[in-house]
Amino acid sequence: MVLRTSGSVQGSPRGTTRTRRNFLKATLQVAGTAVGTATAAPYVITSTALGNASTPPASDRIVMGGIGIGNMGSGDQGAFLGRKDVHYAAVCDVRKKWREDGKGRVDAHYGNGDCASYVDFRELLARDDIDAVHIGTPDHWHAIMTIAACRQGKDVYLQKPETLTLGEGPLMVAAARRYGRVVSGGSQRVMDDYRSIVQPCWAGEIGAIKSVDISVGGPSQACYLPAQPTPPDIDWDLWLGPAPWEPYNSGRCDGNFGTGGNSWRSYVDYSGGSLTDWGAHHFGGTIFATDLRELQPTRVTYHPVSADGKEAAYVSLTYPKGIELHHNRPSQLRPAKPMVAHGDAIQITGDGQPREGKPVPVYKGHGGIYGDFIECVKTRERPFRDIELAVNTMTGPHMIAIGYRLQRSLNWDVTSQQFTGDEEANRLLDRARREPWML
Amino acid sequence: MAYDSASLDKPLEALKAFDWGGDAAPLQAIDAAVIAVHADPAARANLEKRLAGLLGAGTSQPVTEYVCRKLSMIGTAASVPTLAALLPEKDHSHMARFALERIAAPEAAAALRQALAAVQGDLKIGMISSLAGRGDAACVPMLAGLLAGESRTAVAAADALGRIHTPEAVQVLAAATSIGDKPAAAAIVNARLACAESLLRQGKRPEALSVYNSIAAGSEPTASFTRLAAERGILACLDTTTSP
Repeated sequence: MVLRTSGSVQGSPRGTTRTRRNFLKATLQVAGTAVGTATAAPYVITSTALGNASTPPASDRIVMGGIGIGNMGSGDQGAFLGRKDVHYAAVCDVRKKWREDGKGRVDAHYGNGDCASYVDFRELLARDDIDAVHIGTPDHWHAIMTIAACRQGKDVYLQKPETLTLGEGPLMVAAARRYGRVVSGGSQRVMDDYRSIVQPCWAGEIGAIKSVDISVGGPSQACYLPAQPTPPDIDWDLWLGPAPWEPYNSGRCDGNFGTGGNSWRSYVDYSGGSLTDWGAHHFGGTIFATDLRELQPTRVTYHPVSADGKEAAYVSLTYPKGIELHHNRPSQLRPAKPMVAHGDAIQITGDGQPREGKPVPVYKGHGGIYGDFIECVKTRERPFRDIELAVNTMTGPHMIAIGYRLQRSLNWDVTSQQFTGDEEANRLLDRARREPWML
Repeated sequence: MAYDSASLDKPLEALKAFDWGGDAAPLQAIDAAVIAVHADPAARANLEKRLAGLLGAGTSQPVTEYVCRKLSMIGTAASVPTLAALLPEKDHSHMARFALERIAAPEAAAALRQALAAVQGDLKIGMISSLAGRGDAACVPMLAGLLAGESRTAVAAADALGRIHTPEAVQVLAAATSIGDKPAAAAIVNARLACAESLLRQGKRPEALSVYNSIAAGSEPTASFTRLAAERGILACLDTTTSP
């Protein structure tokens, strides 16, 4: 039995009580008993299975599969495939080309044809031999797949933005905690790109943080693209999944990183737009730098277009600790000189009273955020971008989007996960999913 | 921006003929009106009535979809009969739920429950999903009757009971532990764990402990990580030093 420890996901640590080796040993003993022998063993144990000086034996490798392996999914696949402590076993994608490309990369890497490929993620998740999955689908699938994976006992590396709605987050965290799963968000930039703001903030150099300005694009839009013939190499119904049925259009489902109308990242049924896409990085870096990852905003303030019409509307968030976070605040309203900045994208100002610093959290293991995830799969610790921290981070851009949409200010009750006194705003916490998909 | 009903005459007329790929510019005025009526109940009722009036037999899928999205924001009990009529229709059922799931009026939940009894297959799962999303306690007896039925529907019903997690849901799930269908049985265990977590959050440690003990001691085949989940729950119940 595993005892609760601080910062642990409370799973079964590898190498201690429930290793694959122990499991296999027990299984073989049972099998041996069944056929009337004391032990059973394979006739041939390959060198690949045994491992060598640079490669762990198969029993110590994490068996992984990938779901959604175009664009970012292929990058994630490459990162995991290149690790000696991972055995990559299966790919899943609703597009034939990406599925075949993904399998091809794995088979070329291992020099065999063993990588399985699936159209339906449920078949991949049903495999008992897969320990962990990485998910790189459009955002409207993230919650359903993550929860399903946890329920199948898989650990999950989930591309950002981890959530599409405010309502999904608590259910994802609950599933991860319930089954003791390691679920890591997938914003590699949070640690890697924002050191220039993280270090001085955590060192206490700028004192108590007062205001943050983030400049990034806005929310996603409705999609009215015309119908096009559905290509034979995509399972369109499965691509849409829980989203409303719409006709196929290449611009609706293209996985490119634009948000100008020719990708799923542009559209509200599948994405939060730039605000949550690049925003996941900028907000992630900022929330990390200001040490707000365990908190959620308590107020959304909508600032309408200026009286002279020269300044666009913008939205601010109020966090506990008295920190104000502004999205696209006009430059003349910002502090004249931010104390730290990440170019024009992030500007942070403190009270200028230096205070005692604290050590900056770092990745575990080696290999960046991917290594952090794999290390945590082995140790059962919580990863750097643990799902709960990721969910908290994403509440910010989701609330900003609702502020823009409703064009009014809102109060958020963290305990109930509801907006206070605004029934319309609470309608936007979540959305009905197309049958047969549900959370 | 004040709501001006007359200014929507042309946009609403254009909406009737809207199709994917068509001119979406007229829709912007309707979008703006949905926001503008927020603090004006009379204007909101007027807009709701005009939008709901566009739904019905022969209304195209893109128009139905657009209107349902708007009614998901401003719809009230007044729109429920119109939306409810779409629930059995394969092409419109989801978007009708898109609106009904968000309408707080009890009439909306009643419509979903009525449809739950009437439709089959995926549409039935859709009703279950929306009732779960609403946390509708009144549908628990109906969900109970689905646990021993067709596998996918039973899984959905169990998932919904886990999200609703009322005392009645806890009882229903406790009485369903002998169901043989593997996916349904796994979903029932998952739902019971969710209910126990809810009990623990409410400080009802003995009740939560009872659920966890039952799962941990169960004789039915259970995945190791599920049994571990129950064991962790037992520890959480016994750990009085931490808040639930």
